[in-house]
Amino acid sequence: MRKPIQRIMVYVDGSEPSITGVQYAICLASFSGAELIVCYIVNTTAVDELLRARIFLQDEQVEYEHDMEADAERYLNYVGDLAARKGVPVIRNKGRGSVHREIVEAVKKHDVDLLVVGELSRIRSRRDECYDEVERALRATPCSVLIVKDEDRVYEMYESLGQHGC
Amino acid sequence: MALIDLVVPEIIKVPLGSTDKPGVLRELVGILRDAGRIQDYDAVLQAVQEREYKQSTGLEEGIAVPHGKTAAVSSLQLAIGIAPQGIDFNSLDGKPAKLFFLLVGSPDQSGPHVQALADVARLARSKAFCRALIGAEDVHEVVELMRDE
Repeated sequence: MRKPIQRIMVYVDGSEPSITGVQYAICLASFSGAELIVCYIVNTTAVDELLRARIFLQDEQVEYEHDMEADAERYLNYVGDLAARKGVPVIRNKGRGSVHREIVEAVKKHDVDLLVVGELSRIRSRRDECYDEVERALRATPCSVLIVKDEDRVYEMYESLGQHGC
Repeated sequence: MALIDLVVPEIIKVPLGSTDKPGVLRELVGILRDAGRIQDYDAVLQAVQEREYKQSTGLEEGIAVPHGKTAAVSSLQLAIGIAPQGIDFNSLDGKPAKLFFLLVGSPDQSGPHVQALADVARLARSKAFCRALIGAEDVHEVVELMRDE
């Protein structure tokens, strides 16, 4: 029988819940032997929107995109370090564009079995229901999805994980 | 973090007391200082003023979105001010600004900053919603309106 989970992709955006998702995904990859892909999307769609709305100037657009690229590298490196500490190799996937579309594209590109994300923000306005990028990705992705909760428990599990998953 | 997560009564002022653009910027940054959200008032004000010198962040239909980046904040900060009488803000359409969203972010957290600004841009597209905000009688009504949107 084919292993139920061969490729896990975890989405990270730098938020604390997304890092908790990463820690869980590392544990899961270690126990299951699945490949781990880490996905970060530079939200250039939002920057373009701000330029169109004339909130951003052209030079601000360039500056913010540059900063966001640097954020992406920093977080991808951080996740790489977290995984390396536990002996888990990671495949990096950095995308640019619309966050929910790029997550779905990455899932298809890497033939992912399981998408892991951190806890979603609590819905506090009707607008959130329409515009939460991660929630839109969860609805559109063709693979199964795992939403990671309970930061303390996950941290403990990650910390107790040995170098070789013991 | 969603924009709505930043919306609490302490960072809202209705009505603003200022009558000109420099005063509004000082008052909005002052809201953050008084709410205990920033320590270095001058650095934050300077970041916002520097952006404003390049071009006014006054948009159309009475909305203004002053913003800036500075290492003086460790996380994204929002202040909302409403001036029903309108204030000359050198806006794109020449109309007085009545609804102000001030956003200040840290240089190493551009993602959340951009997302929050995009959320504000979407809110600003709804004229009915902006009219309702401008007509809000107190900060609690502003919070309720933001949550209902």
